[in-house]
Amino acid sequence: MQKEEQIQQAITTRFPALAATTRVVRIRRISVDTGLADFIAVLDFLCAEQQIVMLCAITGLDEGEMLSAIYHLAREDGIVVNLKLIVPKEQPVIPTITERFSVAALYERELVDLFGFIVEGLPNGNRYPLPDGWPEGVFPLRKDFTAEEAAKLPPAQ
Amino acid sequence: MTLREQIITWARVKSPWILHMNSGACNACDIEILAALAPRFDIERFGIQLKGTPRHADVLICSGAVTRQISDRLRRIYDQMPEPKFVVAVGSCACSGGVFRGCYNTFQGINEIIPVSVYIPGCPARPEALIDGVVKLLTSLLPADETIDSDMIEIIDSAENMVSDVEMAST
Amino acid sequence: MTRVTIPIGPQHPALKEPASLSVTLEGERIVDFDLRLGYNHRGIEKEAENRTYLQDIYMIERVCGICSHSHATCYIQAVEEVAQLEVPKRALFIRTIVAELERIHSHFLWLGVAGHEIGFDTLFMYSWRDRETVMDLLAAITGNRVNYGINTIGGVRRDIKPEEYPPIIAALNTLEERVRYYITLALEEVTLIKRLSGVGTLTREEVISLGIVGPTARASGVTRDVRHDDPYAAYSEVTFNVISDDHCDVYGRAIVRLKEALESCSIIRQCLDKMPEGPITIKAPRKIPVGEAISRYEAPRGEDVHYVRGNGTEKPERVKVRAPTLANLQGVKTMLRNYNLADVSIVLAAIDPCFSCTDRTVAVLDASGSCREIMDMQALRDWSIAEYQRRGVDFAELNARA
Repeated sequence: MQKEEQIQQAITTRFPALAATTRVVRIRRISVDTGLADFIAVLDFLCAEQQIVMLCAITGLDEGEMLSAIYHLAREDGIVVNLKLIVPKEQPVIPTITERFSVAALYERELVDLFGFIVEGLPNGNRYPLPDGWPEGVFPLRKDFTAEEAAKLPPAQ
Repeated sequence: MTLREQIITWARVKSPWILHMNSGACNACDIEILAALAPRFDIERFGIQLKGTPRHADVLICSGAVTRQISDRLRRIYDQMPEPKFVVAVGSCACSGGVFRGCYNTFQGINEIIPVSVYIPGCPARPEALIDGVVKLLTSLLPADETIDSDMIEIIDSAENMVSDVEMAST
Repeated sequence: MTRVTIPIGPQHPALKEPASLSVTLEGERIVDFDLRLGYNHRGIEKEAENRTYLQDIYMIERVCGICSHSHATCYIQAVEEVAQLEVPKRALFIRTIVAELERIHSHFLWLGVAGHEIGFDTLFMYSWRDRETVMDLLAAITGNRVNYGINTIGGVRRDIKPEEYPPIIAALNTLEERVRYYITLALEEVTLIKRLSGVGTLTREEVISLGIVGPTARASGVTRDVRHDDPYAAYSEVTFNVISDDHCDVYGRAIVRLKEALESCSIIRQCLDKMPEGPITIKAPRKIPVGEAISRYEAPRGEDVHYVRGNGTEKPERVKVRAPTLANLQGVKTMLRNYNLADVSIVLAAIDPCFSCTDRTVAVLDASGSCREIMDMQALRDWSIAEYQRRGVDFAELNARA
């Protein structure tokens, strides 16, 4: 676990405010929670100095009052850093990371469609994955989209 | 049935051309449909041919729980097929929504969108089940008292009678 | 030259799955490429929160029928990590054997589909006939040809007894011989080489910057393989090579997949040799504790990522699936730039797309490419009806005849 602990050390040295939320979960897995303020700085630090080579996925989460997006970042040696960005549900505005990882475009579109995030700077493109004609303002993966809500969707023609 | 109707039915039964459509499936049924075309099961020996366009197809073989995005297109593909047309629903998802029954983006089977002639259950439907379903469909097209082979004999008899009538008339 | 945008799909003979591609052409050359996905989006992640973990296995398996074991195992691994379960070694070996058999079946499937896309139907028939050997083996071990259902939380549901080893070895011998035949075919058949070489090129730098995974990446010399980098199941106990190639094009991807099929046969033999004794499953609790885990798996198409979050109940809080094709689709635009329309289907087939793993408007350009009007389906239909009426076609008469 030496490499993982070194990475944890490097993050907490550079960002002391995040020391409480940076932890080594198991071999090859590190978790970091952050707010909007430090997010881009941490991401750039990880890419530039901690040899992150790939964005595996972005997972959206509905945590009641807050909406989070976990960025799963991987290194060549298999270590994955799960960088969790937490924003309030009333103002779920997050910056795009498509300049750093062009593959993020589709993942961010998923966050927009399914959770209602607003991603600043996301390039124009087709929506994904919901169909055309999906009602505005209805975000299926939020916890308040229950079976009753789903029943209100238009039936088959 | 007139001779003309008999020949048309025989042609329809002996060589149905199919169109394969995936309406939001997981692909398991689709690869079993393709496996039915591959050498082990080989439905091409029954005269079944896979076509690329609905304009040429007699039978629409459809798999998958219909997603909202594709439901309009599925309806349009069905409309583009010439009459008479038949629809075969392959797999549990196409019959009733299958394992995805209750998901917000799927309907409960393709019979919510288009009329279905044959349901082939299974997850996925085995190629043997597919062949059985298609044979049942073809047999149902024939008049009630006939099987797929006896109709051929009748047609040949009718044609021979017609030829000998013509010969007698010309002598 | 005027630019023409051709819609391909969602129903199209070259695409086994629905997706809507908009290919903008200048003559035969592709200048732009747009993809509309979502035709396969079923709402699985939401439904997974309404079902128990055990019920979810069967639904997650059916995210994709071709790589069903990949999705099921990746999900189960995440659940087992959240629940801190120590899965018995025998179960891990059995999972590995089924995983490698799935890889072989998927690569044969790909070979046939690729052959069909370039018009080489004989290759399709040959490789799918050989694929039946693998299907028989999977049916003998797991009970079903597709969607095996061999995983359960804490282990596997069926054992592979020593009496079953000889037929597996015999089938592997046949498969290895057939794969060697296809490799020879790929190396010597001139039409195949000429058709596939130089198509869908992705340089090493593009692969890294686009985040491509799987055989598509390995064909450009990037040795990215989750089995080696982030080992799971029994991969740390067997030795295998990570196959890579330097061609960087569809030909390289074909070579990589064929050689990987050989490696899979070797891995299965090693697993059978080293199969440990012991139980095949461990009792798992119904309620999975609070916690989260991310699990990665090398599916036949590339890296599959599942995230599971437990909340102490018997239903998950969140299940997230990121299938390999989603990572590779971004690369298709780069690959198709400046190629011919005829190459669209083989380049798309070369990433071995599985839109059902992935998912969950017509843009009208005028001649100068400047004015862009986005029409939805209904608007386009109304526009085209108005256009034909302007030309004097009487729909009332046509409709009466139908």
